[in-house]
Amino acid sequence: MNTRAARAGILAVILTLVLAPLYWLVSTSLKSNQEITQARTLYPNAPTLDNYIRLFHEKEFAAYLSNSLVVTIASVSIALVLGTLGAYAIARFRLPFMLERKAVLFLLTMRIVPPVVILIPVFLLMLKLNLLDSWWGLIITYTAFNVTFCVWMMESFFREVPVDLEEAAMVDGNSRFAAFYRITLPLVAPGLAATAIFAVIVTINEFMFSLVLTATPAAMTMPRGTATLIGRIDTDWASMAAAGIVGALPVVIFSLLVQRHLVRGLTMGAVK
Amino acid sequence: MQGAGLDLALPYLMLAPALLVVFAVLVYPLWEGLKASTKLYRYGRVIADVGFDNYVRLWSDPQFLNALSVTATFVTLAVALETVLGFALALFCAREFAGIRLLRTILIIPMVITPVVVAILFRLIYASDAGMFTAISLALGGGEVQILGDPVKAFIGLVALDVWEWTPLMFLIILAGLQSLPQEPFEAARVDGADAWRSFVDLTLPMMRPVLSIAVVLRTIDAFGTFDQVFVLTRGGPGESTKLLSIYGYDTAFKFQMTGYAAALFVTLGLIMLALALLAIRFIQKGTEE
Repeated sequence: MNTRAARAGILAVILTLVLAPLYWLVSTSLKSNQEITQARTLYPNAPTLDNYIRLFHEKEFAAYLSNSLVVTIASVSIALVLGTLGAYAIARFRLPFMLERKAVLFLLTMRIVPPVVILIPVFLLMLKLNLLDSWWGLIITYTAFNVTFCVWMMESFFREVPVDLEEAAMVDGNSRFAAFYRITLPLVAPGLAATAIFAVIVTINEFMFSLVLTATPAAMTMPRGTATLIGRIDTDWASMAAAGIVGALPVVIFSLLVQRHLVRGLTMGAVK
Repeated sequence: MQGAGLDLALPYLMLAPALLVVFAVLVYPLWEGLKASTKLYRYGRVIADVGFDNYVRLWSDPQFLNALSVTATFVTLAVALETVLGFALALFCAREFAGIRLLRTILIIPMVITPVVVAILFRLIYASDAGMFTAISLALGGGEVQILGDPVKAFIGLVALDVWEWTPLMFLIILAGLQSLPQEPFEAARVDGADAWRSFVDLTLPMMRPVLSIAVVLRTIDAFGTFDQVFVLTRGGPGESTKLLSIYGYDTAFKFQMTGYAAALFVTLGLIMLALALLAIRFIQKGTEE
């Protein structure tokens, strides 16, 4: 009984530490600025949705949201297709000169290179290609980051599928590609989902490249737009809190819905 | 026969697109970045070839040296705290009990929430005129609490943000590791009369070493590149107390337009991270061979 009480106590402390900052964000977003800086109580005395209404009157916010969706969906889809094909080739074929081993080593090395190292040259590249402040500039950049990740994840999932199944399908007259497409791909669908989910979260939250590659609401993504907005409203705490909620809500809801797959993606690689 | 030819070419056809994208968008820029780091720029234009001058200059630039030490302190403190807290939390949760599912669900939020928003969250908490600490202090009869205006407190505030955001990841990785440990050694130890502390030191720690090392490496590399949170929380201030290398590099490149110098800075940052990663990998391999 005693250890049980202690356990409950510790659990309560942990939950408080994790939730208090989130509570404060929500609570602040429901207060008026006057209440925030003058009453300064721990809870809203006169809850109001004014801050959210004001936020959406600034129609740019809808643009940030749609830019984020377009860029994320496009780059993750392209990367998944390219990455899955590449990963299958690496997992299944033995090529001359161990080319497939070299390819996977090369992709892993590129994965270790911290993105910040290529921030300037990617900016210069997009400047040269005239792709600054456009969807394509971001899509191309994010696709490259996601491809290395997709190959790495999918390769390990393909290895878990026994080769016999494909060989049986090929004996039945299927081509190699048909065997891959009809037999193996459906079997790694859960892995594909875990990979996609993780890539979506990382991509939709990305800020640094969006900061450098975009400049107007024509291409600014949600994190970039939110950072710009709060730069402009500096001490308008109420708007800042509402912007934070609206900026984070899509990814938080998405993550909670796909929780199970997410935990697998997060801990994989470390524990194997 | 045509089918056989296609089957022969298939591996290359499948691999080529992924490699092509990575070459065009990662390798080529990396090469261009290396080239840029040997040039002197003025207003976005190359005006001279300076060889390794940019790299040499870094080591006599007090702002770079300051940013390096701020970054190293930040990474060490944050990762150490996250590892210890994550481990403690994982041990606490290793046995199933009521409420653990809820805890795991809630712990997902800090790490998936947009980093920019995490920074907003902490700005609102730390604000001296409207923050949570001020509100608590007022409720207890105290005065306003100043955090982001003070160099030391702002730095600690940044570490606290990182700990809040990333301890859950450490927790999840370590928990997955704990749950994959074999049970027999622990049972044998219990039969031999070992107490909980002994079996933790003699069994859990050594067996968890590979997982712990990988978790620490991943987190260290990630923490070295921290940018978003600082950009929104403090912008490097007050003074230069929270100016990490990434922020200093960004300012150098995009505020002061010293493209070549900034490229050299980022390459140096990359090399430091790579060295850390290699060192850690050797350390892990040694640990698992024993």
